[in-house]
Amino acid sequence: MNNDVKYLRSLSAVAILVASIIVWWMAGYIGHELLGEIAVYAILAMSLDLLVGYAGMASLGHALYFALAAYCTAGLTVFFAWPASVAITAAIAASTVAAALIGYIVVRSSGIFFLMTTLAFGQMGWTYFSLSPRFGAIEGLSGVAQIDLSPIGLSLSNPGDFAIVSIVICAAAYLALATVVDSPFGHALLAIQQNENRARALGIPTLRYKVVAFTIGGAVAGLAGALAAERTQFVSPELAAWSLSGDVLVMVIVGGVGTLIGPIIGAVIWVIFRHGLSEITPYWLMWVGIFFIAVMLFARGGVFGAIEILWQKRRA
Amino acid sequence: MLLVQTLNALQYSMLLFMLAVGLSIVLGLMNFANMAHGTLYMIGAFVGFSTVGTTGSFWLGCLAGPAAAAMLGAIFYFTILQRIQNESPLVQVLVTFGLILVGLDLVRMVWGDIPKSITSPPLLSGSVKILGETYPTYRLFICSLGVSLFALLYLCLERTRIGAVIRAGVDDKVMTSALGINVDLAFFVVFCLGCALAGLAGVAAAPLLQIHPGMDMDIIIPTLIVVVIGGPGSLTGAFFGSMVIGFTETFGAVFLPSVSSFVIYVLLAGVLLLRPEGLMAGRYSR
Repeated sequence: MNNDVKYLRSLSAVAILVASIIVWWMAGYIGHELLGEIAVYAILAMSLDLLVGYAGMASLGHALYFALAAYCTAGLTVFFAWPASVAITAAIAASTVAAALIGYIVVRSSGIFFLMTTLAFGQMGWTYFSLSPRFGAIEGLSGVAQIDLSPIGLSLSNPGDFAIVSIVICAAAYLALATVVDSPFGHALLAIQQNENRARALGIPTLRYKVVAFTIGGAVAGLAGALAAERTQFVSPELAAWSLSGDVLVMVIVGGVGTLIGPIIGAVIWVIFRHGLSEITPYWLMWVGIFFIAVMLFARGGVFGAIEILWQKRRA
Repeated sequence: MLLVQTLNALQYSMLLFMLAVGLSIVLGLMNFANMAHGTLYMIGAFVGFSTVGTTGSFWLGCLAGPAAAAMLGAIFYFTILQRIQNESPLVQVLVTFGLILVGLDLVRMVWGDIPKSITSPPLLSGSVKILGETYPTYRLFICSLGVSLFALLYLCLERTRIGAVIRAGVDDKVMTSALGINVDLAFFVVFCLGCALAGLAGVAAAPLLQIHPGMDMDIIIPTLIVVVIGGPGSLTGAFFGSMVIGFTETFGAVFLPSVSSFVIYVLLAGVLLLRPEGLMAGRYSR
């Protein structure tokens, strides 16, 4: 990645942050709800981009770590009345540990087998959540406690406050992931993606690096999951469904895989399609599907990939 | 009780087999992972429903469903599959995942969201007594349909010229083409046949399970598991893989309801990690 593209990415990150704050300033109740939803999906999609776009591991079970943290947040606050801040910390830790353990097993396979193995683990989680009477089985569990932010004058039950908090968290997650991606470790991941055997021959412990990437991805997905539980104060097995893992992959690809900015754009497109198109037609998902297939066939780099190409042409 | 459960398991296995065989052969032959296979099953069921509704004949539905699925499969082959046939499995999985989204809404658009069902034909609507247990005739029909399809496909694969071409193609595609055989044409035929079988499974399942948009999502995962367990590209693998999953799910639900739902996923992960070529890896799958 040359400095020109890097410059474009930093510029875009700042532009997106500024734009989201302007939108937040102008938006009403619904706009704030949408911003919160976009932030949750954006964090989840960025965490998956680390796996797919950098480490070359296309997971079809990424929703598991998202759901696990959401359910932990719910369970700990509802059943044990833990303070939400402690529960969220524990929830993210649980997702991280689960991702490390499962990652240790799944990194041994690749290609279609990796997809299927991650799918298998994701489905185990989904089965558990949809059968467990404690967690309300398919009905889900409501009444998740929110973090008390009154010391700084905010309340998460207010969509406006929630939106600005989630924008800040999303920005922090971007910064953290961008740091990982820019580090020598991140460059090693790219090398593994391009040619795993050569990376191993160069002395990179490929399996260990992939496990670490998988774990970081799981941890950030856990952050998104905890935020999702805080947002709706409700968890259901839908959060662990394999179709959600697929949807998030769609966001990553449509926005632009391997760019970290792309997944944010993908999340914006997804939520706007969902809410904007569903006003016009109940069949919004079909248009998302058609748009997605077109991206896959004709513009593999997604929206941000196209922007990068235009940018480089302008400079040339 | 035991007999009824065995027959139920067999009947579910045969439905899975009809779906898995197409997916498995396509994966083995073309190295193509088609996540939208379940969508063809759903569309077959709905086209069958409409045909039965307008003509009143179940058997016409059994023809129309597979025909529609095969036709859609052919359109898909020429518009999209040819473009992505040599791409990475991730690209294939993602494109066909996009097709799932499109197919789901298309079905909702045409047939609506309300679950529907086909009544089984009068000939098969009764029940029979087997060893003192009464059992619905229609379920027996599915069992025998699946077993006879397996026998027929097995004979085709082992005893006919096209079967030999397919076996050779799975074994070594490049070498087979070099011998002057149009492997792509053979693949196209096999692909359409697989789609038709998925459509047939949809119609056949309709009198037992409600048909609704989303039924494709319910079936595609067990089908994929069957393919993985049986080993891609193997007909006998698909058959025995279906039996493993069908019996595990049915008997598990009876005897170990709390664990059974996990078992097939544990089985899937175990097979993938320990024997990625499939449990029944036979001579056709490498």
